[in-house]
Amino acid sequence: MDSQPLNIISSWPQAILHIDADAFFASCEQAIHPELRGKPVVTGRERGIVAAASYEAKAQGVKTGMTFPEVKKLCPDAIILPSDYETYSLFSVRMFEILRRFSPDVEEYSIDEAFVDLTGLRRSFHGPYSLIAKKIQGTIETELGITVSIGVSLSKVLAKIGTKHNKPHGLTLIPKRAIHLYLDKLPTEKIWGIGPNTSAFLKKIGITTALEFARKDERFIKAHLSKPYQEIWHELNGRSVYPVIAEPKSSYQSISKTKTFTPPSDEETFVFAQLSKNLENACIKARRHKLAATRLILFLRRQDFKDSGMEIKLNSPSAYPANLFEPLREGFNQVFRPHTLYRQTGVVLAGLVAENKIQYTLFDDTARIEKMAKIYNVVDRLSGRFGKQTIYHAAGLPTKLQVQHAGERGDIPKRKTELFKGENRRQRLKLPMWHMKI
Amino acid sequence: MPSFSEIGEMLGFRSKNAVFKLISKLEHHRVLERDSKGRLIPRSIAYPVKILGYVEAGFPSPAEEELADTLSLDELLIQNPEATFLLKVSGNSMSEAGILPGDMVIVDRGRVPKSGDIVIAEVDGEWTMKYLRKRGDGVTLIPANPNYKPIRPKKELKIAGVVTAVIRKYR
Repeated sequence: MDSQPLNIISSWPQAILHIDADAFFASCEQAIHPELRGKPVVTGRERGIVAAASYEAKAQGVKTGMTFPEVKKLCPDAIILPSDYETYSLFSVRMFEILRRFSPDVEEYSIDEAFVDLTGLRRSFHGPYSLIAKKIQGTIETELGITVSIGVSLSKVLAKIGTKHNKPHGLTLIPKRAIHLYLDKLPTEKIWGIGPNTSAFLKKIGITTALEFARKDERFIKAHLSKPYQEIWHELNGRSVYPVIAEPKSSYQSISKTKTFTPPSDEETFVFAQLSKNLENACIKARRHKLAATRLILFLRRQDFKDSGMEIKLNSPSAYPANLFEPLREGFNQVFRPHTLYRQTGVVLAGLVAENKIQYTLFDDTARIEKMAKIYNVVDRLSGRFGKQTIYHAAGLPTKLQVQHAGERGDIPKRKTELFKGENRRQRLKLPMWHMKI
Repeated sequence: MPSFSEIGEMLGFRSKNAVFKLISKLEHHRVLERDSKGRLIPRSIAYPVKILGYVEAGFPSPAEEELADTLSLDELLIQNPEATFLLKVSGNSMSEAGILPGDMVIVDRGRVPKSGDIVIAEVDGEWTMKYLRKRGDGVTLIPANPNYKPIRPKKELKIAGVVTAVIRKYR
């Protein structure tokens, strides 16, 4: 039965491409520092753990999240660089722009991932979908100097399976008649949208591979699984349910901001200051997307990488730190343990709702809320004009007493140290800088 | 003013009589006049209007339309925004081409290098910026400084991009 195709109607009712840059941060570094090509490169120096590893480093066993002593043990010649998010963002934007040359329907899924709807473009490119995918891959490689992996299939879920199937620098086309070949032997937890819990549950009802899942009949699926998994089932069968949403990413489900500091600290005011900075940054992002949070999650990471945190339900949705400091403080007091060293703090704004759709209750102080809106509007405008955090809450002040990263890890990327005349610490030219001696 | 036959040619009239009729009409409307020797003198087509003062009444600002066909410095210097990189110059091998240490060059990675272009290239494992010269049998990289020698790649030549502009900021 496994050699039978899943269905046999029209071969490309729609064509969806998924693209994923290979070891993105490390690849960007290798693109702007050509002498690093072919060498094991690791980013995240300022965090103390690996943020991204080049394929050369991965080949020697380096994984995301490892500490540097671990990295050095596995791969003594690894080159450890500070993260240069400005450059990564420039590359990211360019990758999406290149994709838009091929199709207007580009969904920016994350900094290094996108979905593109190619349906109907074969005629304009005088060739099959595989040719369009190849052109995309080639253009990104020549213009940006990084490699990407691509999957093309009938649905988002299948396209993503294609991308993963062959990485790095892969191009996998999964036409309708070949779907079953890619789903066979693929464990269900490798399917986009299926987590370890669902996968364990599927095992209990006799499903271990993606193909077994796809071959179940609709009645069975409806009887056992909720709507999101029914949708995945359709997608696996080549019936596209999830459209490619061609808007710049703005509808977040949650916004999180975390920051690591070195050396770790056990000082209450300092750790809380870090947390309040996280809160302010998360709120700035939420306001930029005109969203407000209904839940606030905070966490503290100890020196031994163990996390403790808590979730707080907010009385009314907000993206104004002044409203959120009180619950943050309460949560912090419950989570923080004295004489414990912390290395990272984080805040997550969850249950986001559109700012203009907030329903205030009778008990909300609307005059105060309006005043807040005015104040933060000014804060945001000042930041837009004079730079991030021109004005910030005094609770964050203690972060200024210590540099974010003392010693070696305080390294900042070359982009921020080798400035051109006219550039400054805050603003640099909006183009990636190539670093080579000529 | 052009002669009658020239006017005829310009307007596509076969006979000078047609031109004469046109001129007479224009004279009648006082767009043209004759001097003492009978030569034509052009007058303004617009009626002279006495200006009594200015009223700010939402006269459309010419700026927007007039500026639609202008380029920003960005647009002038960057043809292919996705493929454009900046590179700080450290050596002086291109000094006679006007590229000096400390300058910034704009490099286009997407452009096909042509003979005569200034290119950023990797020659046998070394990075360099030189003029590219392609001649029948091979490729040579030519410096713009007599203290440097032209380079003929021995094993490998990779052209990473074409220099499209140089920026030098004085203050």
